[in-house]
Amino acid sequence: MKDMIKITLSLLAIFLAAGVVMGLTYKTTSPVKYIAEQKEKQEALRAMAPEADADGIKGAGAWTSHAKTYDYYEAKAGKRLVAYIASTAGKGYSSYIKMLVSLDPDLKIKDIKILGHGETPGLGDQIEEPAFIGQFKGKSLPQIVLVKVETKENIQAISGATISSRAVTNGVKDAVQMLVDQYGAGVKAVSKGHQAGHEGRK
Amino acid sequence: MSAHTKSSYWSIFKNGLFGENPVFRLALSLCPAVAVTNKVKNGVLMGVAVLFVMVMVNATVSLIRNFINPKVRIPSYMFIIATWVTVTDLVIAAYSRAVYKEMGLYIMLIVAFAIVLSRAEVFAMRNKLLPSMIDGAGMGMGFLLALVILGVFRELLGSGTLWGVPVVQAKPLLIMVLPTGGFFAMGLVMGLLHWDDRKYFGGTGSGGGAH
Repeated sequence: MKDMIKITLSLLAIFLAAGVVMGLTYKTTSPVKYIAEQKEKQEALRAMAPEADADGIKGAGAWTSHAKTYDYYEAKAGKRLVAYIASTAGKGYSSYIKMLVSLDPDLKIKDIKILGHGETPGLGDQIEEPAFIGQFKGKSLPQIVLVKVETKENIQAISGATISSRAVTNGVKDAVQMLVDQYGAGVKAVSKGHQAGHEGRK
Repeated sequence: MSAHTKSSYWSIFKNGLFGENPVFRLALSLCPAVAVTNKVKNGVLMGVAVLFVMVMVNATVSLIRNFINPKVRIPSYMFIIATWVTVTDLVIAAYSRAVYKEMGLYIMLIVAFAIVLSRAEVFAMRNKLLPSMIDGAGMGMGFLLALVILGVFRELLGSGTLWGVPVVQAKPLLIMVLPTGGFFAMGLVMGLLHWDDRKYFGGTGSGGGAH
């Protein structure tokens, strides 16, 4: 009985002390982290449409993908629209890959940025390399298809990281589809092929 | 191990590097050693994080070792380890975003590393503060060294690069960056160390803790 109380007290004291240490650290670091994250997000958005005015990127609405809500934005320089930007994600091998996609006013991909992911280091994380991500530039919705052979027309998967490549491709495709539905009155006919693009390639 | 002199501090440190190298001698924490060593850079980042956590955990355990009830040692260690790993994670996430982007994936994994727990039990629980910290540093450096050796081996063969810089112009052996290649690399290096130990040190010299 006496032993039981001793053990309990010893553990309790350690747990309490540890809790205080963690709590204090969280209290000090979380505001710093929040500010840094907001700043990063702003900078990432700015980088997606560098020609837009400093305060020219405004939220235009929200959309849903994988049961999560993402934002999309309109970037303007003066009154002229220079880009649409959407945040999106794709389900990869071991994580959701978060991305930003920006489109030109004619709805072709302008730029893509991977914001965060938890893919396998050395394999899945190659999605961040320009050799892969650069392939998206200038592509329009019907061209965003993942293939396993060399291609100029579509997107070539990274060997050894097909699942991560597919996740990026699907995430981008979802976002582009959404923006096309939203803004591209003339391009709507393509949206029929969208679902087929998700299945098929396994 | 009561009275420590300068040379015995060095031998504690060296023990972690070679004699009881966590990966190649003690064969602990092999899972992360395989998981993160397909690139040298990943190995180094992971090694540095482990080094820090091990020094802090050993120091804490050593400081409060008379207070920890022997019947609940393991839960106490686990909590101390979890605390330090969480603190490390939070601090890096707030103050060093660039590093966090690279390392964020790995830091939380350190909680479950056998090597951290085992040094708390085997060394820090029985020794004073300074030797415990040196043991943590030595073991952490040993782990870092092992990850770098494996990383160089695997990145060079598997991707033809070192620290991301292209070195070899040839089709890389994809298998070396996969977990299979990790086991190959680890087995070969381990074998080499044991061979060297037998041949030049009669099974005691470079190792000592060889088993």
